[in-house]
Amino acid sequence: LKTRSLHTAAYRIHRLKALGVLLLWLLFPSPFHAQTAKEYQVKAVFLYNFSQFVEWPSTAFESSGSPFVIGVWGNDPFGSYLDEAVAGESILGHPIIVRRYHDIKEINVCHILFVNGKEDTRGVLAMLGNRSILTVGDAPDFARLGGMIRFFTAHNKIRLQINPSAAKAVKLNISAKLLRVADIVNEG
Amino acid sequence: MKGKDRSIQQKLMRVVMLTSGTVLFMTCAAFFAYEVITYRDITKRELSTLGQIVASNSTAALAFDSKEDAAEVLNGLRAEKHIVAACLYDTAGKVFSTYPAGLSAQNFPTQLGIQGYVFRKDYLEGFQPVIQNNNRLGTLYLKSDMQAMYSRLRLYAVIASVFIIVSFLFAYLLSRRLQKAISKPILSLAQTARMVSDRHDYTVRATKWSQDELGVLTDAFNHMLTQIKVQNDEITSLNQNLERKVKERTLELQEANQALVQQNELIETIIDSSVDVIAVMDRDYRYLIINKAVNKVYSFGREQLIGKKLLDVFPQLKDAGMINDLKKAFSGEAVHNVSYRSTVSGRYFENFYIPLKNKHDAIDRVLIIGHDITDIMQASEKLKELNVELEKSNRDLEQFAYVASHDLQEPLRKIQTFAELSERNIEQPDALRRYLEKINSSASRMTNLIKAVLNYSRISKVDSAFVPIDLNSVVKSIETDLELLIEEKKAAIQVEHLPQIEGIPLQINQLFLNLFTNSLKFTTEAPVIRITSRTYSGTEAGKTPLLKNVSTYVEVVFKDNGIGFEQKYADRVFSIFQRLHPLQDYAGTGIGLALCKKIVENHGGMITVESEPGKGTAFFIYLPLPSDTGGELKFPKDKEDVSPTMNP
Repeated sequence: LKTRSLHTAAYRIHRLKALGVLLLWLLFPSPFHAQTAKEYQVKAVFLYNFSQFVEWPSTAFESSGSPFVIGVWGNDPFGSYLDEAVAGESILGHPIIVRRYHDIKEINVCHILFVNGKEDTRGVLAMLGNRSILTVGDAPDFARLGGMIRFFTAHNKIRLQINPSAAKAVKLNISAKLLRVADIVNEG
Repeated sequence: MKGKDRSIQQKLMRVVMLTSGTVLFMTCAAFFAYEVITYRDITKRELSTLGQIVASNSTAALAFDSKEDAAEVLNGLRAEKHIVAACLYDTAGKVFSTYPAGLSAQNFPTQLGIQGYVFRKDYLEGFQPVIQNNNRLGTLYLKSDMQAMYSRLRLYAVIASVFIIVSFLFAYLLSRRLQKAISKPILSLAQTARMVSDRHDYTVRATKWSQDELGVLTDAFNHMLTQIKVQNDEITSLNQNLERKVKERTLELQEANQALVQQNELIETIIDSSVDVIAVMDRDYRYLIINKAVNKVYSFGREQLIGKKLLDVFPQLKDAGMINDLKKAFSGEAVHNVSYRSTVSGRYFENFYIPLKNKHDAIDRVLIIGHDITDIMQASEKLKELNVELEKSNRDLEQFAYVASHDLQEPLRKIQTFAELSERNIEQPDALRRYLEKINSSASRMTNLIKAVLNYSRISKVDSAFVPIDLNSVVKSIETDLELLIEEKKAAIQVEHLPQIEGIPLQINQLFLNLFTNSLKFTTEAPVIRITSRTYSGTEAGKTPLLKNVSTYVEVVFKDNGIGFEQKYADRVFSIFQRLHPLQDYAGTGIGLALCKKIVENHGGMITVESEPGKGTAFFIYLPLPSDTGGELKFPKDKEDVSPTMNP
C-alpha cells in the first residue's frame, strides 16, 4: 500500500510536471525554439529516466539518504527543464539533485554526467577514469570515445546509443530493457 | 418368474447406479463449478501476470519514447491467443502503442479506467500501470476474450462426461458383479419359498450362502419351515383325530336322530291314532299341527289346514265361542269346554284348550283337544225326548185317572141314585120302569166309556207293523159305515184324490172315523166336509221342521163348516175327556180327538187345528213321507174311479 500511494503521488507530480512542460511549450511556439526546447526537454526526462534503468554499485552512495546527483558538464543546454524534470524526485530513497560542473575537481559525488556535445568529450571522459558515473552525451562519437549513452536523432526522434562494456567497466549495470530500446556499440 | 428374478437385481443395480451416478454427477458438477470459479481467478491472475510482464517490458519503451520497442513488446502477445487487444498509454494518457496492428482506435478505451481487471460480457479487460522503480511511466490496457476459458471448460466438460461414462460403466460392471452377493442368496431363498408354496413341501431347505443378515434370514426361514412341518404334522394328526371324533359324533347323532325320528313317528302315530281331534295353533290361530281325526270331522283333510289361519279357512267362526276359548287359553287359562257345537261340522265336542309355553315361559301356542261327543249328545237328546214323552204320558195318565174317576163315576152315581129310587118306589111300576131305563142307559154309557178308554190305551202301544194304506179306500169305507148318519145330517163330503201312506190300518181307520164323527156331530145343518192333501216341505221358507229329522210330510186337511170354537181352545180339544160343550148339547165320550192325536203321533206325525166359531174347523194332519218315495206323494192308480166321492 505504501509503494502504491508512493506511486500515485509520484505519478501525480509527474503529471503536473508534464502539464508544466506542455504549458511552456505552448508559451514558446517558435519552430526552431520549439525544436531545440523540445529536444532538451525530452533529453532531460531521459536523463532522469536513466536513473531508473541503471544500477549503481552501493559504493556510489555515501549513505542511504545521500542524494542522487545528475551532473551537467560545462555548457548547460537544458535550461530549467532538467531541474523541473527531477524536482522532488528520488531514487530508492536518494533525492535527485542537479549539479553543474565546469571543473573536474568539482565532481565529488556524481551518478549521471551529461556532457554537452560542444564540450571536449574525450578530455572529460578521460578525466573521469573508472568512477561509477553513467556518462551521457550527444557528441556523434561519444560512444566510440568511451561514453556510455549517446543521444542521437533519427526520424525526428531522439534515439539512444549505448556502450554497455564501458558501463560494465565502471560497475554500472545497464538494464536489458534499456539496452533493448537503444543501439548497442561495443567500444573498448 | 424371470422378470421377478431380474427385478431385485435390477433394483440393486438401480440403487447402485443411481447412487454412484448422482455422486459422480455432483462431484463433477462441484469440480466444474470450482473450476469455473478458480479458472476465472486464474485467468484474471494470469492476465494480471501477463500485464505485469508486458508492463515491465514496456517501461523502457515508454521511458525512452520507443514506439518500435513498444510495438515489439506488444507483438510478443501473439503467443497469447486470447489477448484480443492491448494498448500502451503514456503518462499523459495518450495512446502510445496498440496491438494488434491494424486494429482501429475505437477498440481501445480513450479514458483510462482504474487499475485492475474486470469481466465484461465475453471479455476480461483491465488497466495495469507501467512502473519502473516506483516511477509511473504509463498505463497498459489488456483485453482478453474468454474463448480460452470456454474451450477449457468445454474440454473439462468432455473429460468429465467421459469420466462419468467410464465410471458409470465401471460402476455398472462392478455392481453387476457385486449385487450377486446380495441378490443370489435372496433369489435362492425366494426360489425355495416358491417351491415350498407351490408344492407344499415343507421338507426342502434354503441353501445358506453367507453368515450375514441374509444368512440369518435363511436360517430363520429354514427354522420356520421346520416349525411349519412340525405344526403341520400336529395339525394333520389333530385334524384326523377331529375327523374321527366328528364321525363318531355324527354316528351318535344319527343314532340319536333315528331314535328321535322313531319317537317322533311314534308320537305322530299316537296323535294320529287319537280319536280326539288334536290341534296346535299359534297366536295368529294358524294350524301348526292337526291330527288325522280332523278328516272325520271336516269335509276336507288336514293338509288343507296346516299352516293356514283358522279364520281364513272358516270365516264363519269369527264370532264363535271357539275364538273366545282360544283367547282365554292364550291368556294363560286352561279352558275346558264341556259341550261345544261346531258350526262347521254340526257335531258336538268336549273341547280342551291347553296353553303351551315356549322356553321363555311365554304362551305362544295352544293345544286343542276335541273329544267328539255327538253320539253321547244324541243319546242324551233322545233320552231327553223320551223323558219328555214319559212326562207327557205320565201327565196324560194323571189326567186320565182324574178324568176317568170323574167321568166314570158320573154314570155310576146315576145308576146308584136310580137304584135307590127304584128301591123306594118299588110299588110304583111306572116309576120303577123309568128308573130302570135310566139305569140301563147309564150302564150302556159306562160300557161305551170303558170301551173308549180301552181303545185309547190300546192305541198307546205301538207294536203293529206299518203297511201301505190307501187313504181313499179308508175314507170310502168310513163313508159306507156312516151312510145313515150322513143321510140323516144331509152332509156333503168332498174328497180329493188322496195319497198312499204307510201306517197301521186299524188306527188310520179309527183316525178318520173319529174325524168324520166329530164333524158330523158338531154341526147345525147341511154340513160340508172337504178332505184335501198335498206335500208339505218343512224346509219351505219361513217354516221350521215340525219334527226332528223329517223334512217332507203329507199334509191332509180335514175341513168342515161346523160350529167351530175359539182358537184359544185349540190345544184342549186333543185332551182326553176334555169337552168344549156340555154333554147335554153334544153327546160323546171326550176321547175321540185325543185318540186322533195319539194315532197321528204313533205314526210319527202331528195334528193341529184351526177353527173359528160359527165358520168351521180345519184339522191339519202331517204324516212323514216314507223315505223310499223320495219325497213324492204316491197315488194308487186303481182307485181313481172312486175318487173324489161326492155325496148328494
